[in-house]
Amino acid sequence: MSSSQQPNLRLERFKAVAGSQNSILLSVLIALAIIFTLAEPLFFSVATAGNILTDWGSIVLLAAGQTLVIISGGIDLSVGGTLAISGVTSAWMMTTILGFDITTTGPDAYPPLIVGGLTAVGTGLAVGLVNAFLINKLRIVPFVATLATMGATLGFAIIISNGMPIGGPNDFSLISPINPTWMPFSWAVVGVIIVVTTVGLFLHRSRFGLHTYAIGSNAFAARAAGINVERHLTKVYALAGALAGLAGFYVYLRLGAGSPSSGVMRELDAIAAVVIGGASLMGGVGRMMGTVIGALILFTVQSGLIMAGVAPDWKKVVVAVLIAAAVAAQTLRPQNRAR
Amino acid sequence: MSEVIYEVKNVSKRYGSVVALDGANLKLHAGEVVGLVGDNGAGKSTLVKVLSGAHMPDDGQIFLDGEKVSWENPRMALEAGIETLYQDSGLAPNLTVSKNVFLGREITKKGILGKMGFLDSKAMEEKAHAELERVGIAVPASNRSVSQLSGGQRQAVAIGRAVAWARKVIILDEPTNHLGARQAGEVLEVIKEAKKKGLGVIFISHTLPHVLEVTDRIVVLRLGKVVRDAPTSEFTGDTLVGTITGTIQTIPEEDR
Repeated sequence: MSSSQQPNLRLERFKAVAGSQNSILLSVLIALAIIFTLAEPLFFSVATAGNILTDWGSIVLLAAGQTLVIISGGIDLSVGGTLAISGVTSAWMMTTILGFDITTTGPDAYPPLIVGGLTAVGTGLAVGLVNAFLINKLRIVPFVATLATMGATLGFAIIISNGMPIGGPNDFSLISPINPTWMPFSWAVVGVIIVVTTVGLFLHRSRFGLHTYAIGSNAFAARAAGINVERHLTKVYALAGALAGLAGFYVYLRLGAGSPSSGVMRELDAIAAVVIGGASLMGGVGRMMGTVIGALILFTVQSGLIMAGVAPDWKKVVVAVLIAAAVAAQTLRPQNRAR
Repeated sequence: MSEVIYEVKNVSKRYGSVVALDGANLKLHAGEVVGLVGDNGAGKSTLVKVLSGAHMPDDGQIFLDGEKVSWENPRMALEAGIETLYQDSGLAPNLTVSKNVFLGREITKKGILGKMGFLDSKAMEEKAHAELERVGIAVPASNRSVSQLSGGQRQAVAIGRAVAWARKVIILDEPTNHLGARQAGEVLEVIKEAKKKGLGVIFISHTLPHVLEVTDRIVVLRLGKVVRDAPTSEFTGDTLVGTITGTIQTIPEEDR
């Protein structure tokens, strides 16, 4: 119970900024951009940025939900499957039920698109509630519970769609929201940025976020402080599901069709983005901005390697190194080592 | 002696075939410090969980201010003015001191943002610091994360939080664990202060000299039963140890 100390505040602040996860991540991102530009000068262009952001849009939605889940001390392996089934159900709703013609343009296209978007988010929300039920009521650990729903959602996506994409043929007039209108940003990417920013504000500034950190940090203490842990986790998994559903709609807009294979392995990209962004799988640690930059790094690496003419398989190796480095950086930090 | 504020009558709790509590009774008066002692497995932790609302007893009644109550979760007990300091695990290490102090009772911003649950972190930091100082504990800056604190500082925060929020009863489960002599002394002072304010304090400890120093009455648990409940003045260190281990015969509760 020593009295409060007043160390050299300016030095402390400098160390905090220079050593913060976000500054390190941004430096890595910039370094990667420089390396890829040196390897292939065409890399440094608005078009490349547009491609990276378009790819980033779907994964960062999954990763935003995954950030909440991981901070709460859990994991959600079902987000890729949720993306697939949500894309398929929304395409089915629009094409089969509403008779929406993919080539429709202008205001006539809005009502079916809105219904489709709500269908996707609703489907994702439903999957999230199933996850919460398995975890809270049946007491299945999150890894296994969401592994089960991952299989189920991927399976249902194929069953509902008979294994074929619903919708199409691809028409660029429809998918204009996904095309960079204001280079390098598209309507869809702007929408994603707004959604992720909102989720981030709730995570870092609101009671919802504080309780998420508290549960991941020490669930017993959270319960003792009067927090209804089960109810809170239900909200977390439901939100992660809804965000994955929205990602499904984003991918639908992108492909012009709901594809049952669009979600395969996507959960691993999302988890990679969160881990590179500095979150701990032990729970209680992580920042939304870290996840956002982590996802950007993933697709910068992917685009850069492709443009530099390197075999795309190298992406996996580079991402593996980044994950290992991110985790090592976290465990080797002084305040973590002291414990 | 002032009126009884908190009482459990005949509470029992079984976990499967294990009887953790077997018809235990406990009375707590306002401004009284009751020591709860017993060997490992005597039922202390279970009784603490019943008292704090973490577990519901299978049998028996709980009375607060003479009224029968039933806690379905810790929140209900907290809202009734009963604070519990759990052994070792009361704080969330990744959160700051002030967030820990206000966990579950956050101050939100004014207006629409507050309705959406947005927090007033500055107000919480200032109030947390003020509250902990008022309790009489010198604590580190409230914007530091608990994981950066020493064991003693963490314990200080946990106790400060309990005392700051308690309106009727404080339950302290091993509050002097992991503390040096000076820090333990500070904790005992905090307990005496709480007593002066008229709070009822239940003090659970294996450190018997602390129990003898700070309590008014001692309740000894053995194998889920209360085997002795007497003023602290009736115990010496040796008789207390004997009662806990069972080498000193005690009158069965039902015959008293």
